[in-house]
Amino acid sequence: MTVRRPGFAPGRHPVSDEAINPMDGAAMGMALELLGVSKTFDGFQALAKADFAVETGEVHALLGENGAGKSTLMNVAAGLYRPDQGRIRVRGREVELSGPVAARHLGIGMVYQHYKLVKAFNAVENILLAQGAPRYGTGLAEVEAAIRAQSEAVGFAVDLRRPVGSLSVAEQQRVEILKVLVAGAGILILDEPTAVLTDREAEALLTTMQALARQGAAVILVTHKLGEVQRHADRVTVMRGGRIVASADPASLTAAELTTLVVGATANPVHCPATRIEGPVLAVEDLAGTRSDGLQTLHGLNLTIRAGEIYGIAGVGGNGQTELAEILMGVRRAGAGRIALAGDDVTGTGPKLRRARGLAAIPADRQVYGLAGDLSVAENYAVGGLTSGRFGGWLRVDRAAIRAGTEAAIAAFDIRGARSPRQKASLLSGGNAQKLVIAREFAGRPRFVLAHSPARGLDVRATADIHRRLREARDAGAGVLLISEDLDEVMLMSDRIGVMSRGRIVGEFDAPADRQAIGVAMVHHA
Amino acid sequence: MPETLPIPLLSPAPELPVPVPELPAAKLAGRGRVTVEIRQHVSGWYQGVVLACGLVVGIGLATAILVVSGVGLSDLFQEFVVSMVTSRSSLAAVLVQAGPLAIVGLAAAVAFRVRFWNIGIEGQMILGAMAATAIAIHDVGPAPARLGLMMLAAALAGAAWVLVPAVLKIRIGLNEVISTLLLNYVAFNGLLQLLYGPWQDPVSSFPNSKQYDLAERLGSLGWGDLTWALPLAGLLTLLCWWLLNVSRFGFLSRVAEANPRLGEGQGLPMTRVMLAAALLSGALAGLAGFSICAGVEYRLTQSFFNGYGFSGILIAFLARNNPLATFVTAVLVGVLYVVGQSLQVFYGIPSAMVQLIQAVIVIGVAASDFFLRHRVRWVPGRRPDV
Repeated sequence: MTVRRPGFAPGRHPVSDEAINPMDGAAMGMALELLGVSKTFDGFQALAKADFAVETGEVHALLGENGAGKSTLMNVAAGLYRPDQGRIRVRGREVELSGPVAARHLGIGMVYQHYKLVKAFNAVENILLAQGAPRYGTGLAEVEAAIRAQSEAVGFAVDLRRPVGSLSVAEQQRVEILKVLVAGAGILILDEPTAVLTDREAEALLTTMQALARQGAAVILVTHKLGEVQRHADRVTVMRGGRIVASADPASLTAAELTTLVVGATANPVHCPATRIEGPVLAVEDLAGTRSDGLQTLHGLNLTIRAGEIYGIAGVGGNGQTELAEILMGVRRAGAGRIALAGDDVTGTGPKLRRARGLAAIPADRQVYGLAGDLSVAENYAVGGLTSGRFGGWLRVDRAAIRAGTEAAIAAFDIRGARSPRQKASLLSGGNAQKLVIAREFAGRPRFVLAHSPARGLDVRATADIHRRLREARDAGAGVLLISEDLDEVMLMSDRIGVMSRGRIVGEFDAPADRQAIGVAMVHHA
Repeated sequence: MPETLPIPLLSPAPELPVPVPELPAAKLAGRGRVTVEIRQHVSGWYQGVVLACGLVVGIGLATAILVVSGVGLSDLFQEFVVSMVTSRSSLAAVLVQAGPLAIVGLAAAVAFRVRFWNIGIEGQMILGAMAATAIAIHDVGPAPARLGLMMLAAALAGAAWVLVPAVLKIRIGLNEVISTLLLNYVAFNGLLQLLYGPWQDPVSSFPNSKQYDLAERLGSLGWGDLTWALPLAGLLTLLCWWLLNVSRFGFLSRVAEANPRLGEGQGLPMTRVMLAAALLSGALAGLAGFSICAGVEYRLTQSFFNGYGFSGILIAFLARNNPLATFVTAVLVGVLYVVGQSLQVFYGIPSAMVQLIQAVIVIGVAASDFFLRHRVRWVPGRRPDV
């Protein structure tokens, strides 16, 4: 594989000052040092005198739970946040980062977990925008050439012409990564980069990052996946509660030791098979569907899910999973085919009827169909049971009943970080927000649970909690459909696995399934 | 605790936890600096204090402007404070203004609650007033039921005028800002057509309708020029408060405001909620037109609606779409209005200056919002490097 030397990528912002050449001192030495960095938000201490140093030529993993301060620390490094205290050195020189532009000029590039893309622009325009290029016309051609070269080198295939908003989550992330690479960053910060990638893509990406590091870049990998740290990182720094708790060679630590450093207690996920599988609860026949931009992404999909089992759908993102999930939720119309839920044909019906038949849905994007960030925790919870009469009638919404129900749900589902039910839902961390969604969705004893990437972006502990809830729903007799791009998750959770490719289920496997065989099925049809 | 911060409340997009870049900080090299952070929690007490401070700053600035242009401080105190508290007729004049203002404020608040940007309040007022006047001129129905019929007709006509933009928005995504705004001009020209044509006053030949009969006027309350328009506004305020803050419709409207797709996915009737709120907004605007014609002017004129559309938007904004606060804000705007008139008449202050000080006070209150959403903090400087 050919990899472009960082710092010399075409289309890079021209830099005249020699001192800020990212390749300076590439032979050895510290690329980036954060010394005694503290940061508080509205009274909350997100970082407490954190020290962090990355050497040139290494892949440095930054490990920790959600809320440990990883993203805050990296936002300081990327110039997005200014620390209250502490110093920043880039290649040995003390700097003051006045903003993201200053950081970029110093060769620091960050790929954010929540993408910073203009959705109406295509990939080329987005990357051009990030370059701050002076001329649109000529810049566009230059940047496009640079992107093509980079995407080839990194092994990414991205449609450069389509508006970024219509790309899948995984594709959008590729655009983000390309943006930083094309900008010629010598210090790369990747915030949870593999959360949305398939195994193969993740492996390829991390291998590429290693290759970049060998050529003199410094790569910081923010993650909570232990396997990645052990396979791909040269060094690991562990954060907990805004502090650095350890910095070590990952080869010198076992997975159990790493886990203990991260969460303070050892937890090892195991597969728990279904105990009692009954008749079909969801039957999908010859389902066709189109994406919002009119492209047909589902081509005669067949699927049967039985009560009491977890059916996992594995596959590369963008193969119709999103459309399948939306059609099953009832918010997107099926182009053709039939959907039967608990024995009734629900093909032409909307979410209301399907929910009355026992549908519960954990959507992939919590901010769209999952929660309303501006509403309170209690309101987000009550939205589910509003028409049931539990929370008052048409004339009067029973706020006391809502508060009591929410408090019970907060306790039952261990939702932390909600100071009161009246707090806004946007203040919950990812894991707790997902627990809130699940608390609402499971309140009505569902017969069919649709879970689309339910653990995406969540830490070890929250993921285990979410998985436990899905198993409990299954063991209570519900059929569970788990759609995920994380093959580990599908393997761990499923009683049966279907591989999805180009809008069809192209292979089915009973648990325990052969990972290799699934991988082959995914690739052969991709 | 989240690693990321919430976006400001007013931001339209539902993509939530995005790290918010700090606003440009005033930089004092090496000596610390001022940072601005998004506030995560605001208590009601703090909210009240901040709004009051905004009001005080706005009035302070307005006072300074007036003093510079030659109005004595004691005169101002007399006009603004003493006469409002002691003179029943001044207070009545304020409340006469406040009635219709409160109703248009409600019309805006109800629509904004579901993010339906109804800019066509004036057009809907015109339609409402035209419908009420048609009933009055043609003496439709028995005299005791006349006022009720006029109100009903005004509400229906106002709602009908917003129906087309609402349906176009829902069906084909047509921007309601444009469609409702343009329908104002259609309504206005329709009004002129009637007032210079069939409805022209036969007595004076002025371009306004003939006076309403006694049975077609809202009765006097026996206090200044106050009529039943004010209690009507109060009643509508309570009704809207119940609808938006107590009933299930209010809850649904909050969901529609915050994230309609969440409600859609839950099988809640988001489209119908939006349509209902838009129609209610139009009906309220129609009633506002009726309240001016039947409660203040006793006839249909060609300029009765002037300025009410934007006043309504302003009142709804200042009141955060809360119906009860809308009424209070309408009274305060009424004070500005009446004081402005007496400044013009008795102190020779030009009307542009009056509008300026009104705007300064409103901006003072509106700008205080910044301190509700953000926390401004002083970060001490670093110790010198060793």
